[in-house]
Amino acid sequence: MDTNQYVEVFLDESRDHLQAVNDHLLKLEKQPQEMSLVAEIFRSAHTLKGMAATMGYEEIASLTHKMENVLDLIRNNELQVTTEVIDVTFEAVEALEEMVASIAEGGDGKKDVSHLLAHLQKIETGETVAEESSENNQSQTTEMELDDYQSTVISQAKEQGYQAYNITIRLTADCMLKAARVFMVFEGLEEFGEVIQSVPAAEELEEEKFDQEFTVLLLSKHNETAIQERLHKVSELESVNISVLADLDNSASPSPNETESKESKQQDEKIEKEDNTAAETKQTTAPTQEKKPSTSKTIRVNIERIDSMMNLFEEMVIDRGRLEDLSKQLGNHELIETVEHMSRVSQDMQSMMLTMRMVPIEQVFNRFPRMVRGLAKDLEKDLELHISGADTELDRTVIDEIGDPLVHLIRNSIDHGIESPEKRKQQGKPVKGTLQLRAFHSGNHVMIEMEDDGAGINREKVIEKAIANGILSEDRAEKLSDEDVYDLILTSGFSTADKVSDISGRGVGLDVVRNKIESLGGHIFVESEPGHGSKFSIQLPLTLSILSTLLVTVSDETYAIPLSSIEETVALTNDQIMNVQQKPVMDFRGKVIPIVSLADVFEVPQEERTEKTDISVVVVKKGEKMTGLIVDSFIGQKEVVLKSLGNYLKDVYAISGATILGDGHVSLIIDPNALIK
Amino acid sequence: MAKILVTDDAAFMRMQLKDILGKLGHEVVGEAENGQDAIEKYAELQPDLVTMDITMPELDGVEALKAIKQKDAGATVIMCSAMGQQDRVVEAIQAGAKDFIVKPFTPDRIEEALNKVL
Repeated sequence: MDTNQYVEVFLDESRDHLQAVNDHLLKLEKQPQEMSLVAEIFRSAHTLKGMAATMGYEEIASLTHKMENVLDLIRNNELQVTTEVIDVTFEAVEALEEMVASIAEGGDGKKDVSHLLAHLQKIETGETVAEESSENNQSQTTEMELDDYQSTVISQAKEQGYQAYNITIRLTADCMLKAARVFMVFEGLEEFGEVIQSVPAAEELEEEKFDQEFTVLLLSKHNETAIQERLHKVSELESVNISVLADLDNSASPSPNETESKESKQQDEKIEKEDNTAAETKQTTAPTQEKKPSTSKTIRVNIERIDSMMNLFEEMVIDRGRLEDLSKQLGNHELIETVEHMSRVSQDMQSMMLTMRMVPIEQVFNRFPRMVRGLAKDLEKDLELHISGADTELDRTVIDEIGDPLVHLIRNSIDHGIESPEKRKQQGKPVKGTLQLRAFHSGNHVMIEMEDDGAGINREKVIEKAIANGILSEDRAEKLSDEDVYDLILTSGFSTADKVSDISGRGVGLDVVRNKIESLGGHIFVESEPGHGSKFSIQLPLTLSILSTLLVTVSDETYAIPLSSIEETVALTNDQIMNVQQKPVMDFRGKVIPIVSLADVFEVPQEERTEKTDISVVVVKKGEKMTGLIVDSFIGQKEVVLKSLGNYLKDVYAISGATILGDGHVSLIIDPNALIK
Repeated sequence: MAKILVTDDAAFMRMQLKDILGKLGHEVVGEAENGQDAIEKYAELQPDLVTMDITMPELDGVEALKAIKQKDAGATVIMCSAMGQQDRVVEAIQAGAKDFIVKPFTPDRIEEALNKVL
């Protein structure tokens, strides 16, 4: 069967399920008694198995099958949740993820999982009650041997008009749940009379200890054809042979009572077992039902479609701006009203579209618990990861990109930050280190903070290293504030690890992290307290493409300054500008901040500068630092679409992009962060 | 041609079943993604046949089967199961399921099952 068309759905759902397994495993590790978690993991593994088998990914199917077997034992209280079980299951999930990833990349999803299979098998058989595989000595004969008791039963029945039938049933070779199939056969036969014996015995049939064929002895008043027809309704039967049992010779084997009692005992056991399993499954499903939140209806939409819709919308925003301008020029009231209404509607549309692209950062955070767990084991460190604000939403583009930098930072913290348990003990810290990962909204930004309670950043060491690596001169080192020093570790060509481990410090410094975050329009700050830990804060824009800006003019040129970095606009008189070390500064709410003239920065051609009494200044901020930007005048607030300058104009100083204004002119968007020193 | 309600929590499985059933000349009148959904859709659509996955969230297939059977004793339900669910399959048969098919299923096997129960 052609399965290509399903691959995408298969991949999507597989990833969801693997993630679910992952989450639940982590929880299970903390609460090994929580059977509802086992049930959830089981369900995911089970669904995966079914899908993989249908798609023909045998390795995935066999691995999930083994996982399922182990989980089933746990679920039935035949196996305890141990670290070994969790570890192996994690390994298995990792292998599954690799296989799914390989399929996503067009591979065949094959991977050698034999050691995992063997390990799971060992768990499955090793610690449980030894399976009765040794009893595999059942006879393959389909000969019916009747004992005295049965002979008597048969002859009595015959007197009452019953017929004894010898029915041999052969299942198809690919029949899988043989016991259930046998059950259906028995159920069918019991409509006609009584099955008094079977070969192999009922118990063996139930445990599937037979090949394809089994024989039963049925007492019935019905004729052969009726029985034949009834059995024909059962699927997966290759053949059904019914013969009337010939007259009995009473030379059967002895000890009838024993057999009889054994049989009835078996029956009892069987019923009891069924009751148990039914009760158990009810127990395990009940809590999950309560917990399961009602899922809202969703559809999956290809991200490309949303992206192209966004692009189209951006075009519309430009036209909207133009329409607004035109309608104002024309001054027709009805036109203005219509355009204003359209603006409002399109603003709502815009926010809808943005929320559509928003995904919880959970997606990124989700993989960290396992990673941290693995790293801690590898590096022999003892720590706990606390995650908060995982439901904070961010633009999809940012989510896709932010994972790697965060991984880098986390590795860095665990490798360099958190001390070894012995060392922590010596220093009187809790032996278990903590790593906190927080995400939250802050104005037009999303903040991600990563804080550890490790050794913190050693100022002296950083300076030493920076000088050795030639990024810092000795005389400048003295003047640097702590903050500047910490910033150094984000500079390229820097690595403080004493020895290179394969976790971090592979020569790829944290500068990669900074570059990535800045390319996303975000910023990273480092704070640290030696001996008490360090904190990395990442500030990210909510969205990338549509910005709220303040339009300002400098001479004849119009510039856009992102509202998110504007603190305030002020008007100064000439005498309020002071000079410190030949640099102009101003007093802003009791703080002295530097000011720069945009006309100077961008070398805007100026006509003879007329001495103005009022100077317009936009105060922009980056973290704690602020700078005043001198402009000629303010125009007003405007939503603009950020367009990159393209590859020809890369890295233009203090410009993050351009936009097309309503009047058709192009305006440059200022990157204020570059102007803040 | 029979009207069929397909129940499975995996959209992937539903798509596949739908495809196979369609090729066999049947009409899939509805899809349910869990047991509760199946019960509601059964009442609404009154299909000739229901395919019912066993392991599902909210309400599993066996419980859903029981609920459907309670309301409509004549309901024709075929269970879909994966390996290793013998006990649940047996429970389902006892509760009145007409047949079961084991994943991964082949069009042939589905055709056989349909022919037997319809």
